Amino acid sequence: MAIDPSMEPMLETFIYESTTLLEQLDEILLSSEKSKSLTEDHINEVFRIMHTIKGSSAMMEFNGISTLAHAVEDVFFILREDPSRLTSVNEALFDLVFEASDFLKAEVESVQNSGEATQDPGKMITELKQLASIMRGEASAAAQPAQEAAPAASAQPAAGNAPQAAPGQYRVKVLFEEGCQMENIRAFMLMSQLQDLCDELDSVPANPQNDSSLCSEIIKNGFLILFKPSSSVEDVLNTIENSVNIKTYELLEDEPAAAPAEPAAANDNTNAAPAPAAKSAPASPASPAAAAAPASGKAKQSLVSVNQSKLDQLMDLVGELVTTESMVVSNPDLRGLQLDNFQKSARELRKLTDELQDVVMSIRMVPLSGVFQRMNRIVRDMCKKLDKQVDLVTEGGDTEVDKTINEAIGDPFMHMIRNSMDHAIEQPEERLALGKPERGKITIAAKNIGGEIVITIADDGCGLDTAALLKKARNNGLLTKADNEYTDKEIFNLIMLPGFSTNKEVTEFSGRGVGMDVVRKNVEKVGGTISIDSKRGVGTTFTIKIPLTLAIVDGMELAVGNSIYTLPITSIKQSFKIFDDKQIILDTDGTEMIMLRGECFPLIRLHRLFNTPTEITDLHDGIVIQIESGDKVACIFADELLGEQQVVVKPFPSFLGKYEIKKLGLSGCTILGDGSISLILDANNLLGMHL
Amino acid sequence: MSSVAMAAVDQADDLRGRFLTFYIGQTIYGIELLNVIEIISVQPITPVPSLPSYIKGIINLRGKVVPVIDVRLKFDQPERAYDGKTCVIVVMVEDMQVGLIVDLVAEVVSIGDGESNEPPDLGKSGNCYLSSIAKIGDKVILNIDCKKFFQSDLQLY
Repeated sequence: MAIDPSMEPMLETFIYESTTLLEQLDEILLSSEKSKSLTEDHINEVFRIMHTIKGSSAMMEFNGISTLAHAVEDVFFILREDPSRLTSVNEALFDLVFEASDFLKAEVESVQNSGEATQDPGKMITELKQLASIMRGEASAAAQPAQEAAPAASAQPAAGNAPQAAPGQYRVKVLFEEGCQMENIRAFMLMSQLQDLCDELDSVPANPQNDSSLCSEIIKNGFLILFKPSSSVEDVLNTIENSVNIKTYELLEDEPAAAPAEPAAANDNTNAAPAPAAKSAPASPASPAAAAAPASGKAKQSLVSVNQSKLDQLMDLVGELVTTESMVVSNPDLRGLQLDNFQKSARELRKLTDELQDVVMSIRMVPLSGVFQRMNRIVRDMCKKLDKQVDLVTEGGDTEVDKTINEAIGDPFMHMIRNSMDHAIEQPEERLALGKPERGKITIAAKNIGGEIVITIADDGCGLDTAALLKKARNNGLLTKADNEYTDKEIFNLIMLPGFSTNKEVTEFSGRGVGMDVVRKNVEKVGGTISIDSKRGVGTTFTIKIPLTLAIVDGMELAVGNSIYTLPITSIKQSFKIFDDKQIILDTDGTEMIMLRGECFPLIRLHRLFNTPTEITDLHDGIVIQIESGDKVACIFADELLGEQQVVVKPFPSFLGKYEIKKLGLSGCTILGDGSISLILDANNLLGMHL
Repeated sequence: MSSVAMAAVDQADDLRGRFLTFYIGQTIYGIELLNVIEIISVQPITPVPSLPSYIKGIINLRGKVVPVIDVRLKFDQPERAYDGKTCVIVVMVEDMQVGLIVDLVAEVVSIGDGESNEPPDLGKSGNCYLSSIAKIGDKVILNIDCKKFFQSDLQLY
């Protein structure tokens, strides 16, 4: 345990809190940078984040972190006083704050790893101070134009006769869908919805419900709502957005500083409101549960943060429970007895343990949006550095995966995105010359299909050059057959072989010698598979399939001699008996193959592979199971099928780590109902070994 | 220091110099009691492919999967069918539990400093698993050094 046990829990809290806050910060900065403005809420939020980090790091005596946070806080303090000063430093501010956020993240990580923060933020602090002084220096001069801008901004609202808003008040113009009728009543309903969210609420025209003749006025000029939000303006906007029959809404502001915010708000109308959607999300990547309760202050109090080791323990216990349950229910003592009531209760119990298992699993589930969010950041940084223009489109960020999986796929994703950015997407001029849109596009989409999560990463770049890949593979001695025998798919898969990526040219972002083979390894570590599809000049798509959860699988039990092997149901295509000798084909090496509906599949005899003594060696006596993983298919031969069971996957003891059992096609072991151990087959490795 | 910690220190002190002895054939071996977790009867062993012959496989120790080593085979002695006296001594090495299959567990003995000697240096060919050789009464006990015993399995390559 730690040297100073009293500090340990605090350190953990500090790390957790800071990481959460920094991720939130990134999200705010990204969305603000996109809209080229900072709303008052965002400024306050950043200010609060920095303030909290400053306080907690000072308490933990990480002075570097604390002073840097203080410097950022200072900058935002100026902004808070007078948001108009943002215009003087726009780009520089975002870059610097991103840099600071990176620095803080690195520091927090080093605290996590070594318990110390070592870097000196001196340079960044000076830059921030300079920035602050620029902002302050111009303050006196800026005050003047700011005031001048005020009337201009107030003249801007379309509804020219709109009354001025009092300080802290917002005005929203709502346009209803054409032909939705009874606009006055709809306006009234909207008002009553907003009642709870606002301290003050007024509208133009006032009391619309009393006079149906106001309809035409509302249709023509829109319905103007004046309100003073009781919590945040986002809540109100969200409510408006979610109301029915509203065509568009527009936040009108009188403050000159917020004038640039207006286009952003206007964007919302057309674009399914990217900004508010992003605003409600900030909490999600860090604390997934918060995502479930979108930005509502009340819901937050019902969240508890739990140490992950406790969750792991809970998971283990549930696993034990599942095993013990099947131990009781299929107890050999009960064999042959007629036990109606017992069976009834056993079914009840099964139902409960299933439910318990589901709940525990769901606790461990976190949405992918956190990982996706980080990709946004990478794309932004690389766009700047490489002078490329790329949009990252993410879909299905709310898809949930087990926490361990979520952690394991972060790095592979980052690597693939970097590859796409660096090698695949062309420079804007080149793209235009090729007749492609100037801005490149990378799409990450996650979907939940069956027991698997399917994630695709697609770019519209130059695609893979099969000839170049073949050449490179041959130079590296990775080819095993003649060039023209390789299908496109096989060629694409070459890039994931270890030893393929030997890029001598190390760019800042990719080609650090960490190739796609590491990506594949990481994906496989969590039981996933990866495949590539590419079309020259059109783009490349990576498809990653990952099982939803690792701990408990539905398995089919196979007997081979006295041993029982468990094969995950997901990898079984079909099982059959062989009646016809013609189905068995021997090739020149004596390798057995099975002919099935005109297709030939290699046969793996489990008893030979694992050296298990059995009496059933004739293919007619046993059973053949066709398995698949990715796009590979083969048949395995076992004595008989014993039945289906849910099993808890346990890793092999680390003592045996040296012997590389996994390479033989075994992914782990499990304890069966009768207390004996069954080895779990891993279709992926089995196939990899033989194909 | 708290009384619990005191008790723990006392207990560790208590175990030092105490050895669990077992038989392989007619030879008596000793293993330091500090490393021993428990002694169980032989359980059904699940063989695992690709392991050296002396690692018999894995057993289920109350929900934990533990590898078992046949000490006879490890010592290059002929294999022998397990009987009622065959035991598995579960020991802890580097935070990992490992079972040792032995012919018979004898007793726990205290071996004082004066009663044991360094094993003779037999050069490279000598048996390198021993930490000391003790003589208690008319019995000779070969004390096994757990670290050396498992060295070949713990080294990665």
